[in-house]
Amino acid sequence: MKASKLNKQMLVAPYIYISPYFILFFVFSLYPILYSIYISLTDWNGSGEKLFIGFENYIQLFSDNDFWLSLWNSTLIFLMYVPIMLFVGLILASMLNSNWMVGKGFFRMALFVPNFVSVVAVSFVFILLLNTQDGLVNSVLRSIGLIDNPIPWLESPWWARFSVAMMVLYRWLGYNMLLLLTGLQNISKDLYEAAYVDGATKIKSFFFITIPLVKKMLLFCTVLSTIGTFSLFTEPFILTQGGPLNSTLTPVLMLYRESFQNFNFGYASSIAVCFFILMMVISLLQMRIFDDKE
Amino acid sequence: MKRKRILYVLITCLLVSLLTAACSSDNKKADSKDPATGNEKVKLVVWIWETAKDGLDLNMDAFKAKYPNIEVEFQTMKSTDLYSKYLITSSTGDAVPDIITVESTNMSQIVQIDSLLDITDRVAPYKDKMSAYKWEDATKDDKVYAMPWDSGPVVMFYRNDLFAQAGLPTDPADVAQEIQTWDDYYEAAKLIKDKTGAMMYGDSKTNSSNRMFESMMWQRGLWYFDDEGNVAVDSPEIKESADFLIKMQNEGLVFDARANTDPWGNAIRDGKIATVVGGSWHDAIIENQYSPADKGKWSVTLMPKWSKDDKYTGANQGGANLAINKNSKHPEEAWQFIEFMLGSEESQVKMMTEAGLFPAMLLSDNASLEDPSEYFNKEPIRKVYAESLANTYPLAYTSDFPMANKLMTDVWAKVFLNKVSSEKALKDMADELRSKTKRN
Repeated sequence: MKASKLNKQMLVAPYIYISPYFILFFVFSLYPILYSIYISLTDWNGSGEKLFIGFENYIQLFSDNDFWLSLWNSTLIFLMYVPIMLFVGLILASMLNSNWMVGKGFFRMALFVPNFVSVVAVSFVFILLLNTQDGLVNSVLRSIGLIDNPIPWLESPWWARFSVAMMVLYRWLGYNMLLLLTGLQNISKDLYEAAYVDGATKIKSFFFITIPLVKKMLLFCTVLSTIGTFSLFTEPFILTQGGPLNSTLTPVLMLYRESFQNFNFGYASSIAVCFFILMMVISLLQMRIFDDKE
Repeated sequence: MKRKRILYVLITCLLVSLLTAACSSDNKKADSKDPATGNEKVKLVVWIWETAKDGLDLNMDAFKAKYPNIEVEFQTMKSTDLYSKYLITSSTGDAVPDIITVESTNMSQIVQIDSLLDITDRVAPYKDKMSAYKWEDATKDDKVYAMPWDSGPVVMFYRNDLFAQAGLPTDPADVAQEIQTWDDYYEAAKLIKDKTGAMMYGDSKTNSSNRMFESMMWQRGLWYFDDEGNVAVDSPEIKESADFLIKMQNEGLVFDARANTDPWGNAIRDGKIATVVGGSWHDAIIENQYSPADKGKWSVTLMPKWSKDDKYTGANQGGANLAINKNSKHPEEAWQFIEFMLGSEESQVKMMTEAGLFPAMLLSDNASLEDPSEYFNKEPIRKVYAESLANTYPLAYTSDFPMANKLMTDVWAKVFLNKVSSEKALKDMADELRSKTKRN
């Protein structure tokens, strides 16, 4: 008898222990997700009656050029900064991880600061710096004779994407560097010593020891950056309002525009659902590609 | 088996908790309309933005004296945030805020979400005392949901020193005579560019606020939508106005910066912009914000019109309204507050003379309009505003204005960046607007 009671407790206990998380998850995540799937099947202005319209929002969404453009924009912005960010981040991390580096604490701090400064404040500073007429960047470039005409940093589609990408790079370089640094610190020094004994140069050990061994961390950073790029909001919202010509429109910005500016909550929810599925697929794909079979 | 049963129990618990969470918002509504008794102290929460609050603050002492039982708490935020926050609030049936401030540009959109209190009977005595155009955006199915506050009669602010250098007249009456139409405006722009190097006005090619263009449409009684609510941006008249502004840009007569941004304001400060064709509230922006050192250099006159025979010379830009939340627990007191602030000529005049909010109310006592402005050459600038307002076409912004405005910005960008013809860009916009708003 006693044994079975204990047994019963053993069975129940784990669920009770984990229940706080699940209760919160159900109330604050799962329920909103299911609810937005429901809204995505309706025509709703945020208040008043929800009109059930089946998959009409999705049909409209797939024929909406802005939606495809927003995905394309995110891809371009991703390509503009992620490779640079990971490569530079890894080099900086290796430097901070090496023995000869001085002032490690300072540099680690300095590189990480942009990440926790308010993004709104940073965006406004970027607006001032990148102002076509009298911004600091154009003034400097002009005074050292690199350009004759001011560069329309925020006023032409490609420059605007580039500016957004650079701002994201500025914000997230330090963060990714820290992640990579933790990866580096897990690599045993013995490997480098052995390579050194075998006559490998510093550069060779970087490419043949460091990179393969931080691959998992690189994958992690890439997945995070992918999700981060597609859900960019504040930067384009403040820098360019998604313009010019929707060239910096991201899916999340589009979702905001449809919901809180145009009051089409049904349509906005269908964007959210598609966005969720897309992110899941991309993340799974990336994990598959980077997965070591061994 | 046992494990499964426990799981079921847990899942049931969760579902019950979910259901109660989901239903709770509906329960709230039942008791939301308790009438407040006379002696009790009542607190009203008003959502508003800074500059508008400055106006109401001027009348707060008088209000407190008359209604000692009503306490008012202002919560300030950006107007765009205000609308999204109110949307969320109203969808959960919240009783707070009691009163919201809504710009005319977004008025109709907010009315459409059916969360404002019907105040048709209460505003009835004011129906003829306000500029007629203000009511339309506040009305849905013959019910009125907001009380008009101020207007933004569009006028032309101009730099008289630059005008003088270009050999143009500087006295407001003479300028109005010299620049009667937009073609005259274009000729003056070329002269000024030639003689002084200054640009005629500031507007962005790729990120325009469209305010100038909208004023040009408004004074001709044209809009993104026609009287029946059909999309009208592909009409030949609208293309004419658009082509005029494109010509101004292409000939380099425009300072390329979005109106009411810092680069635009800096150009005003540096004397690079000769005119601002905009709502009367620009006086405070020029005088206090960007160009306080240029006292006496700016003057005000009527805006140009499309053709000399046009009946209307004015347009409106912006302006606000006050409305009551349908779920407010103190609708009576909220109305008393609104009526006190906006329904009395005394309060309105005070906000006009001291906070620069030109009333939508048609004033019976015109004395306050004659006050000269120190900054603007001691001219009675409010007389010009009143004249503009009296000659403004009675037009409404309509509920899809925010979307149309955004799409219009892209029309200019297509024309200037992608070299698309204005005809095609406007046609594309019309098609998109039709499919998104389900209009004809």
